[in-house]
Amino acid sequence: MTGTVFDIGYQGYTGQREGRGRGRAAVYKDGVRAALGLGRGGRAKVLPWFFISVLTAIALVMAIVAGAANLLGGPGTAAKANLPSHSDYYGIASVIMFVFAALVAPELLCRDRRDGVINLYLVRPLTGTDYVAARWLAFLTIMLGAAWLPQFILFLGLSMGDPAPMSYLATHWLDIPRFLLAGLAMAAYATTLAMLTASFTTRRAYASVFLVGLFVITVPFTVGVADEIGGKAGQWISMFNLTNIPVHVNDLIFGQVSDVTEDAPARLLPAWIRVAWLIAWTIIPGTVLWGRYRRLTP
Amino acid sequence: MRPVTTGPLLEVDHLSKRYGSVVALDDVSFAITDGITGILGENGAGKSTAIKILLGLLQPTSGSARILGEIATESVAVRARVGYMPEHDCLPGQVSAAEFLTHMAEVSGIPPAAARTRAADTLRHVGLFEERYRAIGGYSTGMKQRVKLCQALVHDPAFVFLDEPTAGLDPAGREEMLALIRKTHRDFGISVLFSSHLMSDVERTCDRIIVLRGGHLVHSGEVAQFTSDTETVFIEADTNRDELVLALRRRGVLVTATGGGLTIVGPDASVYDHVRDALVEAQAPLRRMAPRRRELAELFEGEPT
Repeated sequence: MTGTVFDIGYQGYTGQREGRGRGRAAVYKDGVRAALGLGRGGRAKVLPWFFISVLTAIALVMAIVAGAANLLGGPGTAAKANLPSHSDYYGIASVIMFVFAALVAPELLCRDRRDGVINLYLVRPLTGTDYVAARWLAFLTIMLGAAWLPQFILFLGLSMGDPAPMSYLATHWLDIPRFLLAGLAMAAYATTLAMLTASFTTRRAYASVFLVGLFVITVPFTVGVADEIGGKAGQWISMFNLTNIPVHVNDLIFGQVSDVTEDAPARLLPAWIRVAWLIAWTIIPGTVLWGRYRRLTP
Repeated sequence: MRPVTTGPLLEVDHLSKRYGSVVALDDVSFAITDGITGILGENGAGKSTAIKILLGLLQPTSGSARILGEIATESVAVRARVGYMPEHDCLPGQVSAAEFLTHMAEVSGIPPAAARTRAADTLRHVGLFEERYRAIGGYSTGMKQRVKLCQALVHDPAFVFLDEPTAGLDPAGREEMLALIRKTHRDFGISVLFSSHLMSDVERTCDRIIVLRGGHLVHSGEVAQFTSDTETVFIEADTNRDELVLALRRRGVLVTATGGGLTIVGPDASVYDHVRDALVEAQAPLRRMAPRRRELAELFEGEPT
């Protein structure tokens, strides 16, 4: 049997037009896909999935070690030995999370400006605010995934590794909202700083190097100077250790000082200052980022 | 069906735009109805400023710009029915044309399933259907220009702005692009405003023309009228050129010496008779005679009207 192909010519679009909401959702979805390298070549997938794997592996190792301790030493051995748990995870993983943000977040803003695609967004039913908010939310989603997924794996691992899983769940269920909240604080902070830096350059590498340098340099600098000066001034200088800012809030949420911050003078400052400091370091860069895109024209 | 807009698709009324002391547009008024309109002007004439105001991206200093009946700077939503093809690079190299166009259709408000269909259809109409899953970075310049056109059409706009669509193309690519622009209106029913600094492109493609110079409106009207207004006749004689000029001027012909020949400005039907008689009178052997257009730069030497 043979068929005939007819060219019915150009067909106008008569379906529904969903306006600005659909546009925002499309930019958000594209941001998530770009950050994970989906729909791109193999090289684009290497960095994000490597970091997500490393973050997950840390949680797996922590769960396995705790499980093995309980198995070999009897129930409660892991807790007695003070092995790292949920409250310690963000402290251990913070540097990796910041490096992940520094390397991947610029992909969402720099490339659009370098390729000129931003000009196509701005002539569609979207504003600069819509665009940057959708991109920020897209990377926040990725960061939340990178922060929460290992914690959930750790929670499952610790529950299953415990001789009485239901008893573990009943005792430790509050860890879930705690690590969700602490993860949100860390993700929002890292996302905003990384996106702001990316907004100043069209080159992803420049943004990444600057951010990694900023996080790496502030650690020894603030530790050294804070120790040298001491007192109240030393505590405030210690607050400029950028990797520790969300970890201080993590400590407040869990009610425990983590290994990373136990020697930091900033932990002696009142709780509200440490919370306000994190909020300021998120809101102010976020406002600057918004200001840079609000009135952007092609 | 595309919503029917009564009256002009695009209306500019006493529009001015100043950047400090620099006047980008000065009291410009024109209206565009259905069809292909060319906006012609040298670099800095105000073409891009006019287009940006019409897209609602720039606030005018005074005057107003309406597109599809809405004030451009007050309606973000109207951009869902408008397309724009920029002059400069605007394509991501690492994604396929199909993926990119689907995304752009969604950004314009088309639901995902329909966006995929629209992307494939639009690529088929510009001859890129077979290449749609290749990364755009591997495309030739001509193919990239067609993808740029596609992204302006993928959401089925009522009106599309094309900024220098033939820039950087070889002669064959340029012809293809001009054919696609004609097809955009003739077959797709989408009205076009097409900016260029190439008179020949505009003449062959457009129904109407708007000419800007230094932010002023120089001309607005039908292309045929513009063509007759800018037509010249070029004459080259072997000897007695000065005598030929005098003989032509005695017959009331407006002639200027240009390079190795003479140019007659604003020729009418009788000019060829006058040239024949003047050549005989001046005993000047004719080497060459041909109709020409005034160059764009030459056209802009006069005062704006």
